[in-house]
Amino acid sequence: MLKIKKFKIFREFGILVALFAMVIIFTALNPIYISFNNIIDIIQQSAINGLIAIGITFAILTAGIDLSVGSTLAIVIVVVGKFLTSGLNPIIAIFIGILIGFLLGVFNGLLITKLKIQPFVATLGTMSVYRGIAYVITGGWPVLNMPRDFRNLVSGRVFNIIPIPIFILIGFAIITHILLNHTRFGTYVYSIGGNEEATRLSGVNVEKNKVLAYGLVGVGAALAALVLLARLGTGEPTAGQGYELDAIAAAAIGGTSLAGGKGSVLGTFLGAILLSALKVGLIVTGVDTFWQFIATGSIIIIAVYLEHVQSQLYKK
Amino acid sequence: MKKVLALLSVCLLVFGLAGNVMAFNPDSADGITFYEMRDQFGEVPNIETELRLGAVAKAFENEYWRTLRTGYEAMEEKLNNKGMDVEIDVRAAQGENDEQGQLSIVQNMINNEYSALLLSPISDGNLVPGVESANEKGIPVVNVNDGIIENAPNYVGPRAIQNGELAAEWISEKLNGEGEVAIVVGMPKAFAARQRTIGFENWMEENAPGIDIVERQNADWDRLKAMDLANIWLKTHPNLKAIFCNNDTMALGVQEAVNNAGKDILVVGVDGIGEAYDSIRNGEMDATIDSFPFYKAQVAVEATLRVMGGQDIPRVVWTPQALIDSSNVDASAEEIIDWKDPEF
Repeated sequence: MLKIKKFKIFREFGILVALFAMVIIFTALNPIYISFNNIIDIIQQSAINGLIAIGITFAILTAGIDLSVGSTLAIVIVVVGKFLTSGLNPIIAIFIGILIGFLLGVFNGLLITKLKIQPFVATLGTMSVYRGIAYVITGGWPVLNMPRDFRNLVSGRVFNIIPIPIFILIGFAIITHILLNHTRFGTYVYSIGGNEEATRLSGVNVEKNKVLAYGLVGVGAALAALVLLARLGTGEPTAGQGYELDAIAAAAIGGTSLAGGKGSVLGTFLGAILLSALKVGLIVTGVDTFWQFIATGSIIIIAVYLEHVQSQLYKK
Repeated sequence: MKKVLALLSVCLLVFGLAGNVMAFNPDSADGITFYEMRDQFGEVPNIETELRLGAVAKAFENEYWRTLRTGYEAMEEKLNNKGMDVEIDVRAAQGENDEQGQLSIVQNMINNEYSALLLSPISDGNLVPGVESANEKGIPVVNVNDGIIENAPNYVGPRAIQNGELAAEWISEKLNGEGEVAIVVGMPKAFAARQRTIGFENWMEENAPGIDIVERQNADWDRLKAMDLANIWLKTHPNLKAIFCNNDTMALGVQEAVNNAGKDILVVGVDGIGEAYDSIRNGEMDATIDSFPFYKAQVAVEATLRVMGGQDIPRVVWTPQALIDSSNVDASAEEIIDWKDPEF
């Protein structure tokens, strides 16, 4: 047990080193990169992807996946947007949003456990269904003019300095980290991903824990939706398309194995920060758009490869 | 290794060359404006037979295409009021990535022998096979912007390059021809994104030597991406005076960043969506270039009728567009573009 823990710390240390190297390179190219405001921006811009990625990590840890996160986000955005513009108290609206996200995630979980549909296929289906629901709710139109109090509550700045989305991200990371490492649920999530049959045979209610894991994915998407809604002040039913891939990338960079059973919240969190740091760096240094695609993809491949090499080295 | 590199560079060269060959560009084609079309060809021919027109838009999730649909519907009503027997069936793909789905809608219309097709393809290529079979069957096809169908005999749409020119001219005037500006580009693959950007850059280069375009990056038509871009630019370019965005959605995101920074920077978009009009009224966004999809649809139907009635109109007909700012945001579109219903 001790050995595994040590290994984990080591692995995430690797991402930190990569992040540090990136910061040095971009700062050398443009010193503004290291400025306080820019660092804050990097973390703030990682919040939406980070929240979704931490959620999706739970699905991946159970050897599953959730492709519907972007569409879940869209439903939460338009429903909460509708409630807010009709004058509902922002705090109640926020709770409704989180609840909707949780229920949509649970529905995915039920499709996967009760109907025995493979996670990729089940959530490919709900990705389309949920997106459709978001369109139906607004007739395709965006929900405009979010009230100021909601926007300040979710995306304002504490002491006029640190944006609240950063606290939401870190808060969610801490809670999920505790869930994953210090509760039975967390232990089951790892062991389901490691060997589902063995876990079932040892008397664990695999279905229930899986459904909960997908519920948590939905909560992550819902929190991201609230941040997005507050930052933009407008809820578009088209929002979140392709976000599932960014989230999977963050989890993979963070050392989460797509085969399940291996990964951590901290790793995913750092993965999201790394992607954001890269994106901001490419913009700050004025890299041509077309090359940005190449750079981003290459970094993902290199990061995951280094992680693999590193774990091989450790085994020896 | 050397061989691989050589092969790679040859590939890059070939793709590079192929990518730059653009056989048909409606912006630089020998076209006419819809005003000229009416002057030169007079009345719209009255077609006695029953007509069923198939109009296929990109995707109704986008306000632009929904407005286009209402334009088609308005024109259908006008024509039927004139005593013609016209049905316009307006369809769209399931999202802007559903290239195959859009093609099957078109194939279905061809199989059902629609009288003519008005097509707004998702990409330059996805409807080409459909247009081939329509051409074989003698069904007239009008390409309504902005994907470019190489083999469609007619094209109706705004000059995308003029979007950028109008924006450049307006910004240059507001800045007295001096200062740093930036461009937020849409999806790089889109014809409209390329042309709007080129139009803006070329106009500035030729007419405003004092304007310095310091940044040009893409945000894929996405509001959040545009906002994040602007956030960074506001720090890296403290003297930035104006930002031109390839569409309004991105401009609204940029405006949000500008508001948060408490800066006074000109923000100009393209499309003229309702939210942009509201933003201009509120004194936030500064201008948008409206290409009036509601009227564009009607011009497209008019052009289709002229083709079917045997008039030999040029391949390209440019539809009206205008810059909207605080001075004309409350004027009616008819006034701004001097719109009149066609005569029969």
